[in-house]
Amino acid sequence: MTFKKLSISMSFAVFVMYGVLILSLFYFYNGSLFFDTLISERTLFSIRLSLFTATVATLVSVFCAVPSAYALSRFRFPGRQLIDTILELPMIVSPVALGAVVLIFFNTPPGVFLQERGVHFVFTIYGIFLAQFITTVGIAIRLIKAAMDEIPVRYEEVARTLGASPLKAFFTVTIPLSKKGIIAASILTWAKALGEFGATVTIAGSMAMKTETIPIAIFMRLASADIEGTAVLVLILITIGLGTLYGVRLLTRKTTSLT
Amino acid sequence: MPLIELKNIQKHVLKDINLIVRDKELLALVGPNGAGKTTILNIIAGLTDYKGEVLFDGNKMDHTPPHKRGVGYLFQDLALFPHLDVASNIAYGLRIQHYPEATIEGRVKELMDALHITRLEKRYPQSLSGGEKQRVAIARAIAPFQKILLLDEPTASLDIQTSKYLRMELCALLKKLEITAIFVMHDLLGAEEIADRIAILHKGTIEQISRPGDIFFNPRTRMVSEFIGMPNILDCNDCRVLSSGLIEVVSGNMTIVLPYEGSTIKKIAIPPHDIYISDTKPPGPALNRYRATVTEIVPLRSVVRIKVDINGNSLLTELSMEAFDEMDLDIGREVFVIIKLRRLRYVEEFDDYHK
Repeated sequence: MTFKKLSISMSFAVFVMYGVLILSLFYFYNGSLFFDTLISERTLFSIRLSLFTATVATLVSVFCAVPSAYALSRFRFPGRQLIDTILELPMIVSPVALGAVVLIFFNTPPGVFLQERGVHFVFTIYGIFLAQFITTVGIAIRLIKAAMDEIPVRYEEVARTLGASPLKAFFTVTIPLSKKGIIAASILTWAKALGEFGATVTIAGSMAMKTETIPIAIFMRLASADIEGTAVLVLILITIGLGTLYGVRLLTRKTTSLT
Repeated sequence: MPLIELKNIQKHVLKDINLIVRDKELLALVGPNGAGKTTILNIIAGLTDYKGEVLFDGNKMDHTPPHKRGVGYLFQDLALFPHLDVASNIAYGLRIQHYPEATIEGRVKELMDALHITRLEKRYPQSLSGGEKQRVAIARAIAPFQKILLLDEPTASLDIQTSKYLRMELCALLKKLEITAIFVMHDLLGAEEIADRIAILHKGTIEQISRPGDIFFNPRTRMVSEFIGMPNILDCNDCRVLSSGLIEVVSGNMTIVLPYEGSTIKKIAIPPHDIYISDTKPPGPALNRYRATVTEIVPLRSVVRIKVDINGNSLLTELSMEAFDEMDLDIGREVFVIIKLRRLRYVEEFDDYHK
């Protein structure tokens, strides 16, 4: 077998593995049960909660990520390397550990003060926002920085010589040129937030009809041996996730053809 | 009052640069790679920090950010905004500075007409040819009524013909709009065509700054002489007008026929690469062909410099290493020499340089 055939076979093997896993969900497929589970108030609540929290967390993440990514992409400043390394935290530390760190923080005096005088995060919907935010913001910065790195600084220099202040150059040149990259990064961030479980369950808990996002609903149904319900929720999550990634693919392809 | 003044500028390779660029002057910065030419432009534009002083019309600019300096900059890579069409690219500076829409429209149209790019108005940079991009970038750089324009190798990426044509056109436009311009070029011939003065830069130092003729006829340093190709300067003792725009000049015991409409030439410059050596008698008429004796052979890296004596006139010539090996030349050997001037550089009266 040639190396080419071997490598292609390996990619097919991985595909078959995932395919078989997804198909196995249909083993427990029961038409009426699927429909009942889908339109049940609890499922719809989970879907609504997940879409809402993931969207808010993504907006906040991207809002923080755009200027941070620009700074890391364009400027050399003390601590830059340190920040760049810390951004990897959500990727190298398990979300449960991140969630645990947040819980521990809320048990320190500043954390207690914040909870009492500010927003109460633990076991509330705000905890879901926080969990999704801390697990996605680093990734959002990394992805947007990659998009901005692709834009030569020269465009901003040209804008500067034509009378644009650094802020104007940022909004009239850098943002429009990295727009597609930022949108693609936002979609991936959103997908990551949507599927977030570890940090969410640690900070916000798993309370039915309160902090029950889709991944938490899956966990709860599985814990109560509701295999059919689990399969339905997993299928919903997979559909939303794959649909999103397909959208990103389309967007990235258009970006490539433009440049 | 000088429009641009650099005082004791230091940055990386640049060592204590002092330079005055006069109002409405076209100055060419010429020199080998790594001489610091582009760094000087970046300093004037305020795109890099530096030690020393930059003054525009006597006002210190050292703490003025690039967007407030009013300096247009044509970068070597042009960097046309890919998300804007040609008209919007040109209008960018005007829009960002909040000029009235009527002024913007008028200015964009005026520049598109002047640079013959009106038909490209709605096109995007990706679909333009190299020459078209160059024109759009020039229009964009001067659109916000800039009085200073910096150009980094403005025609380097174009073919010879397009490049020559665009250079002349650009030169005429800059003169018409009364813009002070500093060109960075590595090609001395191109610089000669457009510049009022040429500054030769080498390893961060300005070796010579003078009118193109002075550089050819009076190179002040060995580096400048080497850079301009060590031309042979011949004093002309006598001139005789031949028919149909030709003149025969006598220099020592040599006579050279040149295409020239006037009646007197005082000096001519002949670059070594315009003097050809042959070990056999070349066919054809005997015009500008001489018998000569090899007096000196200096092998360099890729060429061999050969000094020949023609009736008492000593001329420096160049041969490629391959040609030299084929000819088997030695000192004292008699050869045939042909002068074929690709460009006539001459002094008509003293201090009156032509090209």
